[in-house]
Parts: sequence; C-alpha cells; structure tokens
Amino acid sequence: MSNEGRMRATVNQKLTEMGERERLKELLRAKLTECGWKDQMKAHCKEVIKDKGLEHVTVEDLVAEITPIGRALVPDSVKKELFHRIKAFLAQHA
Amino acid sequence: GCGLPDNCTNRDAAPASWRRDLIAKKKERKLAHANHAQRPLLIGICTGFIAQRGRYKPGAVTDMSPAGCPHVNGFKVDNWKQNLRVIYQCFVWTRKRKAKSCICHMCGAHLNRLHSCLSCVFFACFAKKHIHEHAKSKRHNLAIDLLYGGIYCFMCQDYIYDKDMEQIAKEEQRKAWKMQGMTRTHTQRHTHHVKAKYSTWEPTKRELELLRHNPKRRRITSNCTIGLRGLINLGNTCFMNCIVQALTHTPLLRDFFLSDRHKCEMQSNSCLVCEMSQLFQEFYSGHRSPHIPFRLLHLVWTHARHLAGYEQQDAHEFLIAALDVLHRHCKDDNGKKANNPNHCNCIIDQIFTGGLQSDVTCQVCHGVSTTIDPFWDISLDLPGSSTPFWPLSPGGDGSALNGESHATGATTLTDCLRRFTRPEHLGSSAKIKCSGCHSYQESTKQLTMKKLPIVACFHVKRFEHSAKLRRKITTYVSFPLELDMTPFMASSKESRMNGQYQQAVDPFNNDNKYSLFAVVNHQGTLESGHYTTFIRQHKDQWFKCDDAIITKASIQDVLDSEGYLLFYHKQFLEYE
Repeated sequence: MSNEGRMRATVNQKLTEMGERERLKELLRAKLTECGWKDQMKAHCKEVIKDKGLEHVTVEDLVAEITPIGRALVPDSVKKELFHRIKAFLAQHA
Repeated sequence: GCGLPDNCTNRDAAPASWRRDLIAKKKERKLAHANHAQRPLLIGICTGFIAQRGRYKPGAVTDMSPAGCPHVNGFKVDNWKQNLRVIYQCFVWTRKRKAKSCICHMCGAHLNRLHSCLSCVFFACFAKKHIHEHAKSKRHNLAIDLLYGGIYCFMCQDYIYDKDMEQIAKEEQRKAWKMQGMTRTHTQRHTHHVKAKYSTWEPTKRELELLRHNPKRRRITSNCTIGLRGLINLGNTCFMNCIVQALTHTPLLRDFFLSDRHKCEMQSNSCLVCEMSQLFQEFYSGHRSPHIPFRLLHLVWTHARHLAGYEQQDAHEFLIAALDVLHRHCKDDNGKKANNPNHCNCIIDQIFTGGLQSDVTCQVCHGVSTTIDPFWDISLDLPGSSTPFWPLSPGGDGSALNGESHATGATTLTDCLRRFTRPEHLGSSAKIKCSGCHSYQESTKQLTMKKLPIVACFHVKRFEHSAKLRRKITTYVSFPLELDMTPFMASSKESRMNGQYQQAVDPFNNDNKYSLFAVVNHQGTLESGHYTTFIRQHKDQWFKCDDAIITKASIQDVLDSEGYLLFYHKQFLEYE
C-alpha cells in the first residue's frame, strides 16, 4: 500500500471509530438529495435500464455507467463542505 | 370495487347472474352518459416504469415474487438461516462498522464495496475483484454486499433476489432500525421514538395487475387543470355543489379515494362513500364538461331527510350532514374492528375530527371541571349579531402572528377565535353544581383546542335565526392564508395561567400551522342567495367554482371575499 493509501486508511479508521463517518454520510445524503443530485442519478439509471433492456441489465452495468456521472455531478459546494468538516474533525482529534 | 374488469379472461366461466349484472351496469352507464370508468385510474404514481425486482417478462402475467437463482440451493443447507441472520446483524445492518475486522483480506482496504463470502469467513473488495478471485478459487458462489445487504451470485454474475433471503434481510433491518431508533433522541427537538423507518411505496400483486390492465397514464404538470370540474345546478343545489368542490379538493381525502382505499361492505347501492369515490373518479377523469351529481343528491336526500326538497339549504348544514353520513357508512367498514364506537378511525374522523376542551371553573373553590368533546367545525359569532361581541384591540396577540390586515379596523378571523376561546363568566342565573363545594356556584367557562384536526373548518355565523330576527350578517371578516392555532390551544392557555403571559413563538414548532385551501361564500339574502367556492390548486393557484362555471381567481379575490366557510389544512403532518 502506498503512503497515500495508508494515510487514507488511517483517516477512515479514525472517522469510523468515532462515529463521524456515519454522521458525514448522513450529511452528504441530505445535501445530495436537497440539491437534486439523487433525482438526477435516478433519471440516469432509468435511461441505462431503458437502453440495455430491463431483462438484461445487471447491477454492474448500472454501476459502471453512472459512477463517473455521479462523481462529476456532485456540486462543488457540497465537496467543500464535506472537506472542511473532515479537516475540522481531524484537527480536533488527531 | 364492483365486479370484475371487462377484459377479465374468466368471463366465460363466470356464473350467469354475474353476466346479467354486468350487462345491466353497461346499460345504466349508457343512460347516464357517464364516461367509461371501468376501473379506477391510478394517477400520478407511475412516471415511466415500475422498478421491479426479479425477472420481468413483458406480456405474460408472471408471478412477481423474487425468483432468485438455482445456485443458492447449495447454500441453503443446515443452519443457513441463522448464519445469514448473524451476518446481517453483525456486519451489514450495523452502525458501528467494526473498523478493524471489516477489511479486505487481500489488500486491507475497507471501502471499495466490501463483500463477505457466504460460505466461509472471507471479506474482500468487489471493485478490485478480490472477492471474485476468492469465489473462483474456492468455488464459493455467493457473497453479500456489506453496505447494502445484496446477495451476489458469481455464476449468474449479478445480484440475485431470493425470496427467503430477502425476507431475512428485511426482518433484520427492521430490528436494527428499532434498536437504533431508541438511541436517536438527542438530534431531534421532540423525543420521537422512530418506530419504523420510512420505506418507499412498492405496488402489491393486485396493484400490479390493475396497472397492467389499465395502461392509460396521466401526467400531472404544474399548470394542468385536472381535478377541476363544474357541477350542474339541479335546482337550488349550489349549497351541495359548493361543499363538493371543497371536499374534492381536500388533499388527504382526494388521496384516500384515488388510491381506492374504500372497501365497501354495504349490501345495497346506497353507500355514500362509494358515491364519493365515484365522484372523485369523475373529477379527476380529465373531462371538462360539467358533472351532473344527481346520484349524489338522491343519496343525500335518502340519508339526510332534513335536507330533502328543492329549497335552498344551508351549506354548513349540508357539510355536517355529509360528513356524518360518510362517517357512518365508513364505520360499517371498520365497525367490526372498533371496540369503542366513539373512537372511530375512519378517514372522515382522521381528517376532520378535533377535540374541543371545555373548562368550567368554580368561582368559589376554583376547582376545574374539564370535558373534551369531538368537533368537525368551529362556529364563530360575528359582531353585529344579537350575541354581544367585544372587539379586541388591533395588534393584540394572535393577529400579529397571523398577519391579518387590521388597516380598516376590520374584524379578523383571529379576533373571532380569541372571542371563542375567552373565559366567559356564566352569570348568577346559570349556576353550575360544583362537585368541590357540593352546591351551586357561579363559574367561568372557557373553550380551547385540545386536539387539532388535520382539516379545520371555520363556520362564520352569518345567518341569524332568532325568535324575532331572520337575517344575514354581511360584516366582512378578514382571514389569512396561513393560520397559526397555537394561541388557541389548551396547552397555551395553561402556560398563560402559569404566569407566562407573553407566549414566545417557537419557530421550530410547526404542529399548529395551517394553510387555507377552500373558501365557501354566500351571495344574496337569507331568502334567496347563491353559494360559490374558491379552491386552491397546485399550492398557489386559486379557482372560483360557481356551479358549472370554473374560472381562474387571484389570491386577492379570495382574501377579499366575505367568507362563510373557511377550510384550512395542516401544513405538517406527523406519523403516529
């Protein structure tokens, strides 16, 4: 594992242990619903299913198609907010 | 419901009498010029396709239970159910994801869609295909997604949905939510125990069948006029028409009937609830020609004799009579379940019934005798009536809260409510027997709201029927679009009595906030008059319903109108 990978793992572990990860997840969930991201993703899923056909589509197809779209569509404001919260948390608990 | 749908394939096998009934019904429909409403239209729910689980074969009516795959059979041996439960309990539906143990056994990562093998203790990530390698080498075909609980089959190369396993997953999830709900109090203002987490609607087998048999769909846009329909006046029946308009635009009532929730158990054809259901179908059918409510009128005459005849009746009386008959006919459905006949849980009671608290305080011993009575409406006295009315100073508490205009010194709805809930001194000629003093004493009586209904109907008493006078009081009453009932609650009165006179408005408490959605007006005199209704559509569009004529109205039109019956809907609904 690279240095970055190791650091990521450590940060994640800390967040999980203190329950902060769950809180951040809830926050993210709420923000993404509010800004309409969830609805956009739902619409994209339906498109993919229509394209591939309901009988043939697999979960992997969906994951492969919408993951890049999902990542690209997260608003900058949401990213910033999450980032600041994680930073503040680590500053407090490192 | 009434009979099987027309395209039912079992028609030939059905008994002859059923066929006779169907032919008779068809004839009736032709005579009534009714539109072809064979089955209720389920509107607005489908916006494309139905998300289904399991394999879907278009055309054939398939059994919609999850089929799973044949590869699970190898797993379903010995104590598999218990083992699966343990996995769900400890690794899937848990908030405290064990940071140390839930990592990939191959690369140590604990993200990347971690899966657990179902046949042995092995965690591995999905994204990097580590779990795939394990599956191949060990020939363990099944794995579970630790984040969402889905079961993956490596032979089928997709997530599979096995009925038994899905059931276990759901049960364990519900258990976990219950446990977690108990501890989640500090984040909420009210300590609500989260009993069951919200789960999205999924159609039942029967509903899927209905949706397939009725492929017509209707899209509701923000400017469509569905739900608006005129009503023909059958001879001074505007008193009925105006109430029908208000009821068909009561959101909860509309939802109840459009989702076909009334299961009729009355033997005869005279169920008013069935007729209401049919009425909603007519209103939301999309037809623009006015509807002729002759069947409704006939049923009303049958069940509320005092309203029969072609004279003009009072709309308020009609409202109460209609609610009463609907409540009685609904009760036949759950009458069998209800242990207490006064505690009906029919849709009418759920929506319209509130609780009015009456406190009688003895002036001598200060003992309070409290009773709570159910109500469907609040009748408010007006200034200028023969009962004395003390107009309270403008800007007093309540009016400021509800933003009513006191500019012209007009009486407001809040003034009327304050008068309604003020302590009233019962004079020496009306002494009450006090159980504390064991004698007749003078007392004060006060009415307050104990339980607010979801829909609050205010009746402005404009028609005076005293011994000498019979007249209509046309005093303008200013009423708001949004109403906060907090100052009139029994709990507010109690805190006021404890010395907290200035009731601090809690901005987070939304329980008592209401929005206006219908206004019934009376034009003319007591002898000859006409009723019309303003109803609200799509949050901020208003329409005037004048028998068969529907026209667009402005909010100002509504607020400037005289106001006879005012219908308010709670803004925030809570689960019980």
